[in-house]
Formats: sequence, structure tokens, C-alpha cells
Amino acid sequence: MNAKTKLTVAVCALVLVAGGLLLSSRSTQAQQNDRAKQIGKRLMCMCGCNQVLTACNHVGCQMSAAMLKELNERVARGDSDDLILQSFVQEYGTAVIAEPPTKGFNGIAWFLPSIALAFGLGIVIVVILRWARPSAVRPAAPGVSAEQLKQARARADRETEE
Amino acid sequence: MDLFGSFALLLAFVCALYTVAGGIAAILTRKPLLIKSARHAGIAVCVLIFLAVGSLVYLFFTDNFSVAYVVAHSNRDLPAFYKISALWAGQEGSLLFWSALLSVYVFSVLLAYRGKHPELMPYVGVILAGVQLFFLTLNNFVANPFRVLGAVGPGGVLQVFTRADGNGLTPLLQYPEMVIHPPNLYSGYTGFTIPFAFALGALLARYPGEKWIHLTRNWTMIAWCFQTAGILMGAHWAYAVLGWGGYWAWDPVENASLMPWLTGTAFLHSVMMQEKRGMMKVWNVWLVFCTFLLCILGTLLTRSGLVSSVHAFAQSSIGSWFVGFLAVVFLVCLAAFLKNRDYLRSENQLDSMISRESSFLFNNLILLVACIAVLSGTLFPVFSEWVEGSKISVGPPFFNKVNVPVGLLLLFLTGVGPLLAWRRTSLDSLKRNFGWPALAGLAAGALGYAVGFREFFSLVCLMLSVFVTLTIAEEFYRGARVIRGRTNSNWASAVIQLSLRNTRRYGGYVVHLGIVMVFIGLAGAAFNQDKQAEMSIGATMDIGRYHLVLQTMDSQPERNYTSERMIFEVMRGGRPLMMLYPERRFFPSNEQSGTMVAIYSTLREDLYVVYAGRSPETNQPVVHVFLNPLVKWIWLGGLVVVLGTFLALTPSRQPALVLQPAAQEAPAQGAAQPVAAPISTYERKN
Repeated sequence: MNAKTKLTVAVCALVLVAGGLLLSSRSTQAQQNDRAKQIGKRLMCMCGCNQVLTACNHVGCQMSAAMLKELNERVARGDSDDLILQSFVQEYGTAVIAEPPTKGFNGIAWFLPSIALAFGLGIVIVVILRWARPSAVRPAAPGVSAEQLKQARARADRETEE
Repeated sequence: MDLFGSFALLLAFVCALYTVAGGIAAILTRKPLLIKSARHAGIAVCVLIFLAVGSLVYLFFTDNFSVAYVVAHSNRDLPAFYKISALWAGQEGSLLFWSALLSVYVFSVLLAYRGKHPELMPYVGVILAGVQLFFLTLNNFVANPFRVLGAVGPGGVLQVFTRADGNGLTPLLQYPEMVIHPPNLYSGYTGFTIPFAFALGALLARYPGEKWIHLTRNWTMIAWCFQTAGILMGAHWAYAVLGWGGYWAWDPVENASLMPWLTGTAFLHSVMMQEKRGMMKVWNVWLVFCTFLLCILGTLLTRSGLVSSVHAFAQSSIGSWFVGFLAVVFLVCLAAFLKNRDYLRSENQLDSMISRESSFLFNNLILLVACIAVLSGTLFPVFSEWVEGSKISVGPPFFNKVNVPVGLLLLFLTGVGPLLAWRRTSLDSLKRNFGWPALAGLAAGALGYAVGFREFFSLVCLMLSVFVTLTIAEEFYRGARVIRGRTNSNWASAVIQLSLRNTRRYGGYVVHLGIVMVFIGLAGAAFNQDKQAEMSIGATMDIGRYHLVLQTMDSQPERNYTSERMIFEVMRGGRPLMMLYPERRFFPSNEQSGTMVAIYSTLREDLYVVYAGRSPETNQPVVHVFLNPLVKWIWLGGLVVVLGTFLALTPSRQPALVLQPAAQEAPAQGAAQPVAAPISTYERKN
């Protein structure tokens, strides 16, 4: 291998290593951006827009710009998700977290729809069973005689079919 | 003109008071003259409210800056088009607008049923006037839009000031859709007052079961259609104007519009149980009551400052009025129900667990659970603050997690429900109706998975969308095939004939198809991409299949604002595709800025470009580009829903002759003889 070939190989190797490093740094950057985006979706913008941090695009919103900058810095520093969320809570209060906590009183928010579904499902099943029971045949309106109902129905028919 | 408007409003209040008092007296005494007089007073209320609205519009168009409301929401340079939308830009005007839209309904009802239903209409008239009276109280004494700028001078004389110019309309409302969206949404809210008044009136008058439902069916559908269109237009406005790349943020005000829509949808379905089987009477009455109460609750949320929202009007004491009104309405409904609930007993039983009836029950359950999830999520921050003392957020991640599975269940029922027979569905019928749509849905899921569709809920949504679409297509195919066989017409003509013969049924299917399209659009959100970057002239950006080049920037003064825009050339596959012009507008009258998003929309995806302002560090323009798949399906789906509702509202034509047993019940002896029966009989059975 002559000197020229050695130089060519060395340059190629250098280019490959540099390219690899560049690609790896870009991929790290992309990963950081993705992670920041994911965490940003768990935080609310505190400008009062009621949107998650990454979605706030209000004209001149100073709050989201500062919060996003802080988030990117913490992600770049390698802080864990929990640590980042905790630091935001310390700075902005519990309202900065986009979801209610799953524990304590606020956990009720998560259970309410399920409770409603279970309760409603119970009612629907009971109603269906009651309706399906052969003995459920009963007068249309207890307390109102069949004659009264017939008269009322005839009256409504007369009036609506005029 | 401000005095004229004020006087018209005051007179309307007095007339509404008389309508309520006279109407109650008429119900008690049953004197025909009193009934007529109360009805005429009700019509006068509507006319006076129209006059008041007309005078406020006149004040806007004549730039009368002695009226505080005109000063706050208009200026001389505001285009005439937006002077109309300035009417509902603030608390006072929007409440007057509410009264006006309610009056359109009341006026139409009073005229449409003039001389009809003498037992029911006095009750309906009193209830409608009662609701009008509440809003007129607000219009006159709490949020009067005709208040003039002035001060009490020497001698107790009011000195009126006139400002040279107004503050202008908020930039967010200076968008064409904002001239259409609020009237639609308000027409939905106010429209639900009509079924409410008939339901409560029928209960108070002990007017038997289905009649009030027949009378209000079209009114309910109109209100529902407006509400649907209003919600979707609001979503489109948020998408095109706010510039955050999305269309639904689960904001309390958005939620407030969704809740009555959910209960209203439940009502439109369960009402069929009462019409066809005499069942679910109590349920239907309470669904209508709840829908109306949710409309009022939504108004309370928007206007009281109870929950924070960008859409909300300024915090004010008006909330206590709405709380009081809600309480009164609820108590009246409860008292009427307790007193007359005997008239609401079911007349039939369920024959089978697998039937149209049970599917309606589940459909209602899912819609109600969705409503409860939205309501609890919206109000929970308030409860949490009361109990825990600290504020929490219930944001989009919560609502998405809770409501996406619920929505998919509902989509499933959209496909299943209409194909189940009333009373009982056999196993054979299940296989025949659902066999191949279910298989096609599963195949679509497998195909989607194979091509990389890995997001779980989106994949389920794709499968269900295929399933539901095919069940609907199957229904059209079966009916059209029969017509083709008889008339030798082509498929398109057969489908049209079929739809026109039973508009309600096939209109319903079209609405379901629209809902499927909306779901397809929503499923695309899982695959959204976005990029943000500072860009100098000539800089490029790649996103998805698109290559964007910032060609230049320009700035130009317009009548009402100054615009600064980025000019992008968009290329796809190396070829120039189009130019996009995202811009920012600065409005000197109120020193506010607004964005105008540039969107290239296709059925596959939206290329959504936002000029996000200049970087504070480098002063370079910042662009935020989104690639949002399938969004256009949402707007097209909304259009299909509206068209389907129009079809359902159209009276059915030329009853078809269908060979089938004429008798509903099995004959005592022998088999039923096939006879020619109109399709309306068929409809009643199916």
C-alpha cells in the first residue's frame, strides 16, 4: 500500500467516522425532539388557552415559548420524565399537568365514566330483563283507567289529525 | 335608534310576562279568548325582539359610537360583512341574538299550530314564553346591548358621549366562517327549546305518549342539524384560524356544545322506540329535559367564568341568573314528572335481547356515558378546587383516553343497530346482515396492519368504518335491487327512488355514512406530523411528500389591518404543485394580531402551513408546518350528515307497493295472505 493509497483510506475512514458521528448526533437530536414533544403533550400551556403545551400557538404567547425552551433544556440535560414533570409542577402548580392525577380525590375523574358505564349497563340489563319478562304485562298507566286513556288518546288523535 | 331598540326590548319583556300570566290563566279558565290573546302576545314578543335586533344591526352599520356595545365590537373600517358578526361578538349582543333565534322558532311554532291541538298548545305557549321571559330579563336588566356611553351631569341630566371610532372586532372573529358558525350553533341550542316545551307541555297536559313526539320530530331534527353543523364549523374555524394544527381541543366551550348534541342524538334514536313500540316514554321525556338543561348549562359555562376557556366571555355575575334558571327548570320538570308519570308507562315488552329495541338502549347508554365523561371532565377542575384547594387541569389527553373507546363502541352500534329487526332478530338474519361486512372489516384491519397501520384505535376505527359502510351499502343495495327489478331503472335512479320513498330511514343511513366519514377523519390524527423552523428567503423544508421553498415575504396594508405573509412554493415529486401564503395580520384598532393559515387540502392529507411570527433572538420568520392525514373527511362527513338530515326531513314520496303480510300481528287462523301494502306499513314494521 503506497502513501497515496494510505492517505485515501485514512481520509475515507475519517469521513466515515465523521459522518457516523454526525448522523448519531442528528439521531440523538431527533430523539430529544421526539421526547420533548411527548412530554410536552402531557403538559398544559399556562397562558390560559386550555391547550397542551405543544399545541399552543397563540399569537404572541410568551408563556409557551418559555415553557418549551425550559422543556428542551431539561430533555437535553437528560432529566427523567418524572423529574421534568415534577419541576414543572413546582414552578407552575398542579394545573400544568394535562391529566388529573390517578390517585386521591382527583382519581375520581378517571373512574366517573367507568362508574357511569357500569351503572348504566346494570340499568339497561335490568330494564331489558323486566321488559322481556312475560309477567310484565301491565296496564299502560296504573292510576289511569283504560277508559280515560282511550278517551285521551282519541282526543289527541282528533286534534293531531285535523 | 338605541332608544327604539331599548323600548322594543322592554315591550317584549312586558308582552312575554303577559303571555306567561295570560297563558296560565287560559289553561286554568279554558276561555278561548284568553288563549287567543296569550298566543297573540307570544307572537308580539317575537316581532318586538326582531325589531330590537334590527335596530342593533342598524346601529352597527351606521357606526353609532355612542352605544357602548358598538364601541366595544366595531370600528369604522370594519367591513360590512363583519358588522353582522359583531352582533354576537360580546355578552350583551349574543344574548339578544339568542333571544332572536329562539323567537324565530317560537314564531314558527305559534303560526304552524295556530288553532290546532287546543289542549296542548296553551301549555307549550306558556313554556316557550317562560324561556323567552328569562332571556328578555337578561337582555333588559342584566346585559342590555343598547346601553349608551354617558354620565349624569349637573341637574341629574344624562349626557351622552360619542366616541370618534370603536375598538374594532377581535381578529379571531374576522373570518367568514365566524359569520355562519355562531348562528348555526345558537340555532341548535335554541332549537332544542321546542321539543322541550312540547315534552313538558304534554306531560303537564297529560297528553298521551307519542303525539308530542310526532309533532316535534322535525323541530328536533332541525335543531340537531344546526347543532351538528355549528359544532363542525366551529372545529373548522379553530383549524383554519387558530393555527395550532388541530380542530378540537376539548375546550369547555367546545364541550358545552357537544353535550346537548350527545343527548339530542340519543333522543333522536330512542324516540323511535316510543313511536313504534310505545316504549321508553319516561326516558325520552328526561332526555329532552336533559338536552335543554345542558344547553342552558353550556351557556352558563361560557358566560359565568366558572371554567377557564379562551372562548368564554368575560367573567360576570350573569352566571347566578343561569344557575337560578337551571334550578327552576329542573324543579318544574321534576314536579311535572312526579305528578303525571303514570301517563308515561311503557305499553309493550321486549321480545328478545337481540333486537332493535335493545340496540337503542345500548346506543343511548353509550351516548349518555360519553356525555357524562365530557361533563365530568369539564366540571372536575371546579370540584377539585373546591375540595382540594388547588387547581388541576383536565386537558385533551384525558378526554381522548376516555372518549375514543366510547366513540368506537358507538361507531360499532351505528353499523349494528339499524340492521336488527324490531322485536326479535334471528341468528340467520344476523349472519345474513353482518356476515360479509364483518369479514370485510376484519380483512381491512389485516390489510391496514400489513401496510403499517399500527396505532390500535386507528386500526379499530378503520375496521369499524369498513364494517359500518358496508352494512349501509347493503341496505341501499337490497332496496334498490327490488326497485330495479320492478322498474328496470338504473342503479342510481333506483337508489334515489328508494331514498325518496322512505326519506326518514334512508336519510338516517346517509347521516350514519357521514358519521363514519367523520370518524375516518378523526382516526387520521394519530399520524399527524409537524415541523417548526426559522426560515430565511430561499430556505427549504421537507415534510412527508412535500418540499417547501420560501420564495419571498411581503407586507401590505389593507383597510382594516396590515398583513405580513410568507410566500411558499410547494413541490411534490420534484414538480411545482402550488403556492401557499400563510400570513399574520395586525389590527391597529385594537392592537391585536391574528394568523391566517395556508392549507393545501386533499382527501389523503392536509399540508397546513402557519406563519408563527419572528424569532425574538434572530428576527427570522418562523414557520410551523403540519401534515395532517384525512382531515378533509371530517368536513365532507359533516356535509353528508347535513344532507342526510335534509333528506330525512323531506316528506316521503309515492308509497311503494311491497308484497308482504298486511297485518302486524299473526292472524288467528292460517297464514297471512300477501297483499299490496304501502311502504309506510313496511316502514312501521322495520
